Amino acid sequence: MHRQITPSRPSRTRHAVSKLLLAATLWHPAAAGADTEDAAAKMFSFSGFGTLGVVRSSENQADFSLNIFQANGAGYSRQWSPDVDSHIGAQVIATVSPKLSGVLQIVSAQNFDGTYWPRVEWANIQYHFTPDFSVRLGRSILPGFLFSDTRLVGYTYPWVRPPVELYWLNPVDTNDGIDVLYHLQVGDLVDRIQGNVGYSNTQLPNNDGTVRARNSWGITNTAECGSFTLLLSFQASHLSINALDPLFDGFRQFGPQGIAIANQYDDDDKLVEIEDAGASYDSGHWLVVSEWSHGNTHSFLGDQTAWYASSGYRLGKFMPYLTYAEVRAIGNSNAGLNLMGLPSGAAEFGAGLNAALNSVLETIADQRTVSAGTRWDFAKNADLKLQFDHTRLGAGSSGTLINVQPGFVPGGTVNLFSAAIDFVW
Amino acid sequence: MARTNHRFVWRALLGLALTLAVGPVIAEVVPVVSAKSLVTTLTKAQLTDIFLGKANRFPDGAPAVPIDQPEGSVARNEFYATFAGKSAAQIKAFWSTIIFTGRGQPPKEVADGLEMRKRISENPSAIGYIEKNMVDDSVKVVLQ
Repeated sequence: MHRQITPSRPSRTRHAVSKLLLAATLWHPAAAGADTEDAAAKMFSFSGFGTLGVVRSSENQADFSLNIFQANGAGYSRQWSPDVDSHIGAQVIATVSPKLSGVLQIVSAQNFDGTYWPRVEWANIQYHFTPDFSVRLGRSILPGFLFSDTRLVGYTYPWVRPPVELYWLNPVDTNDGIDVLYHLQVGDLVDRIQGNVGYSNTQLPNNDGTVRARNSWGITNTAECGSFTLLLSFQASHLSINALDPLFDGFRQFGPQGIAIANQYDDDDKLVEIEDAGASYDSGHWLVVSEWSHGNTHSFLGDQTAWYASSGYRLGKFMPYLTYAEVRAIGNSNAGLNLMGLPSGAAEFGAGLNAALNSVLETIADQRTVSAGTRWDFAKNADLKLQFDHTRLGAGSSGTLINVQPGFVPGGTVNLFSAAIDFVW
Repeated sequence: MARTNHRFVWRALLGLALTLAVGPVIAEVVPVVSAKSLVTTLTKAQLTDIFLGKANRFPDGAPAVPIDQPEGSVARNEFYATFAGKSAAQIKAFWSTIIFTGRGQPPKEVADGLEMRKRISENPSAIGYIEKNMVDDSVKVVLQ
């Protein structure tokens, strides 16, 4: 398996993109001439970001990962895993006119199949009808949480990663569709309203198929006043994951009680609703951030409520911080089929289905974490972070861990050590 | 004897207070607009909003185009520390958020204070910052 980070690939891609874009401007008669290179330089702005990180987990019967889309992580797959946090991204913004611009961002991070093949994170065209009102068409990242659209740019936040307890709630992060942005200024209050509609397809590891999100829509309001920021968001989507269809087909063979269970937990065009409220205070020295979210998937992915509070204090180039985060799930188990009075063969099959369903429900994250760490801005465009996390898993839950092995005991504690270098250019 | 000691301590404290008041020996940086601009005064918050791209207009509704001195320059670091209360790394992190969500670009940069003064004097929409002793009648200081 190809697990090594390949920084050459995105830079090659970036180079290729830049050549392509330059060729496009050369083609344009108005841009041709002695000033071509200069004009191209003015029109295109290149930038990039990346993180090199390693994680070590005390739990060796499951993997710590960022989300359900990573093939492997720290603990079971690797003792020291570079695959959780390491990635590199390159971006080009083309400003055609003050009204029209386009952005393309490509990221190489661990994929569902364990490779680092680059994927397109952002690719959209933005048109400003007025300086305060614009529409984006194409791919963007859903804005539902305080740090959702910058979650890969570690340089922009204090921690090694935004708390997984809350950021795990949204199983979808890209959106192919339309974004409407409205910017409003009243005195010292700056308000940004964003509405989004679209769809997405995201592939799952272990041949589990694709997470299909359809008829996704959402509205996010971000108000900023001096050092204070308040975000309120609602996101909804219709989600389908077919990986567990055989399990639910099994339940359906047991008549009304089986059908009821299958309908409760299967994920076939199920409505997902996520509400979020986040606030931060960022003065010169103090940073205080807190965020709350509730997500109901109406399926085996669960109904969860998460929140965290974090505070850091800047001491020159250092910023030590403390974070408490938790996610609580409703229903990590289900009594399943009532097998009383069934013939022995059917009862045995039913017991197997009940056990399988409960092992799926066990994976709905329920956990609490205390984190302590520090950020050090050691260079003008790079930082180093060290973080220690102590997590207590909820009774009967494997928390946010993936690749759970038969030897795993739910409801224990996990200690995590992470080190990361973030950079931007 | 005790009295002499006291006097010594007071003198030392006075000296320290003066040093703190004057600050380190780097030139004071002031925000400026073109002498042709109608803008007269801005608050720190208004100034910060313009330079962080949160506001694209002056309070009177006229378009505002901020200009930066080069990254790492004394004037730039001094300006953001004084008016936004943020370090160079905090400003860089802030702009990284904006850039990598495709929401905008940081202000255009000029080579130094001289070029900034020239660019600002020519454009009534421009706003920048220069060392106080570089202020002449082509630009005016805007600060409440």
